[in-house]
Amino acid sequence: MNVNELIEIIDGNLLNDSADLSREIKGGCGADLMSDVLASIQPEAVLLTGLCNPQVVRTSIMADVAAIVIVRGKTPPPETLALAEMEKIPLISSPLGMFALCGRLYAKGLESLERPVDGSDCDCGQ
Amino acid sequence: MPQDTLFKGKLVSEQKAEDITRVEELAYELKVEEVMTANPSTVTPETTMGDVLVLFRQTRISGAPVLENGHLVGLVSIEDLLRCLQKSDLESETRHYMSTKLLTIKKNEPVIEALKLFVSSHYGRLPVVDDDGNLLGILTKGDITSGILQAMQHDYQEEEVRRYRASHLFEDIESDRSSLILRYSIKQGDFTHGGSASSAIKRALLRLGATPQIARRVGIAVYEAEMNLIIHTTHGGLIRCEIEPKQISINITDDGPGIQDIALALKPGYSTASDTVRELGFGAGMGLVNIQRCVDSMRLESVFGQGTILRLKIFLSQEDSVGEGS
Amino acid sequence: MNLQDIITKLDLKTLSSVEKDLSSNKPACGYSSDLLSCVMAGAPKKSIWITLQAHGNIIAVATLLDLSAVIITEGAIPDETTIEKANEEGVVLLSTSLPTYAVVGQLWEMGLRTSDPDQPCS
Repeated sequence: MNVNELIEIIDGNLLNDSADLSREIKGGCGADLMSDVLASIQPEAVLLTGLCNPQVVRTSIMADVAAIVIVRGKTPPPETLALAEMEKIPLISSPLGMFALCGRLYAKGLESLERPVDGSDCDCGQ
Repeated sequence: MPQDTLFKGKLVSEQKAEDITRVEELAYELKVEEVMTANPSTVTPETTMGDVLVLFRQTRISGAPVLENGHLVGLVSIEDLLRCLQKSDLESETRHYMSTKLLTIKKNEPVIEALKLFVSSHYGRLPVVDDDGNLLGILTKGDITSGILQAMQHDYQEEEVRRYRASHLFEDIESDRSSLILRYSIKQGDFTHGGSASSAIKRALLRLGATPQIARRVGIAVYEAEMNLIIHTTHGGLIRCEIEPKQISINITDDGPGIQDIALALKPGYSTASDTVRELGFGAGMGLVNIQRCVDSMRLESVFGQGTILRLKIFLSQEDSVGEGS
Repeated sequence: MNLQDIITKLDLKTLSSVEKDLSSNKPACGYSSDLLSCVMAGAPKKSIWITLQAHGNIIAVATLLDLSAVIITEGAIPDETTIEKANEEGVVLLSTSLPTYAVVGQLWEMGLRTSDPDQPCS
């Protein structure tokens, strides 16, 4: 699915203009701890999170996230919006909660794009 | 839209099918005047068809607006010329062959409107006029195709030029050992800007020609270290990233408070972060573990009460090397 | 759907010692977040909470909110004090190596939902 289709499925509201909505989403990841996201997420996933601070966008850039969905209809602060706009990463707000978002997207066939964290593994998500 | 033309160009052929959506967007975004041919060659009703033939041949065009006292009165095209040639009537004036059933388009209409007109009318060209009906240019389907291609190219070019220049950096500069050093000072508690140094480093590496995997590994490692400086230090600290063709060395230093028990700090899940920091999404005790997973070598030295230095290295294989062209 | 079905279906590991029969524990809905303050504000009574937080505070939250169970994802293992506290408070603490997204996806497939579709709880 691409970002446009994602927005439709989750009743989302796109918060920035610069994003490329045709970008393909390869899987999902739901988490509020950014270190965990960095440790486990694979490239081109949609990140579902309850956090609104600019670190969500930073983390997403580092981890090559395809789109960010903020849960429960929260509105991120201006600095988060500005960063997403500058970095051209789709920032979407959805009225759904984390549980419903994971459920809906999983039911639509979007697989999990996190790997189990394993200390011996050091390829860092490639 | 002639799709094969769109895919024939080198640049476009490398793009994914997703770009088609961008083409549609551009058809709405671009204005007719941005893609039209301005100041086209014109003729008058009195111009002979013989002169029209010469004009078409010399300027390699297949149609021209006909102006009488500056006013648009018709359009003469290669089809009209063919009819004239069949009758061997080249001495005749343009007024007898030009088409006067004119469809024009305003300069500030979006390209999509022109496309609709082309489809519904089967005309090959449309005169472009201003609000007072004065001729400004002429528009063909080919103009639209190349206008859209140019706009798409522009999206990519800027970054590509930068990337091209940077990727030859070490090749262009001679020394026994060249390296590029990037330095960033990080302020304690500055959550808003947390990650800007690591973003800058990641971008620099991509411009230097590093693979996305290498850029991602360095980005994640430095980001965690940057957040550690923001969360845990007394006064913030420094990030020094040295880029060489075959290795990237990153040193992260601070002047306190220092780590009391290094072994414990390296244990997954161990964290001294406050609940406030946890609510910000950090302090899950995974930072150093993450860093270790991303780099080839990590050395953590700390004196409690004095400060900490974290040394990271990533080695690049032949294929991964940066700054030496490709 | 009862907790025992869920444990079997998702192959969850039970971390806390459970004396009661888990097939009588019927979760009302699901909730997921890693931010304790959000959980405090949003998780309904008798819900299953899915999180990757293994921090000791999760037991206090689960007790306060009277949750049906806590599933800790991504193989995160809480320390012994946390498990002891779970046993004392009678909190059902479960663990899986799967990430939150996959766990919730499977629970959703089993028919577990948020408390009220108009007012999503998570």
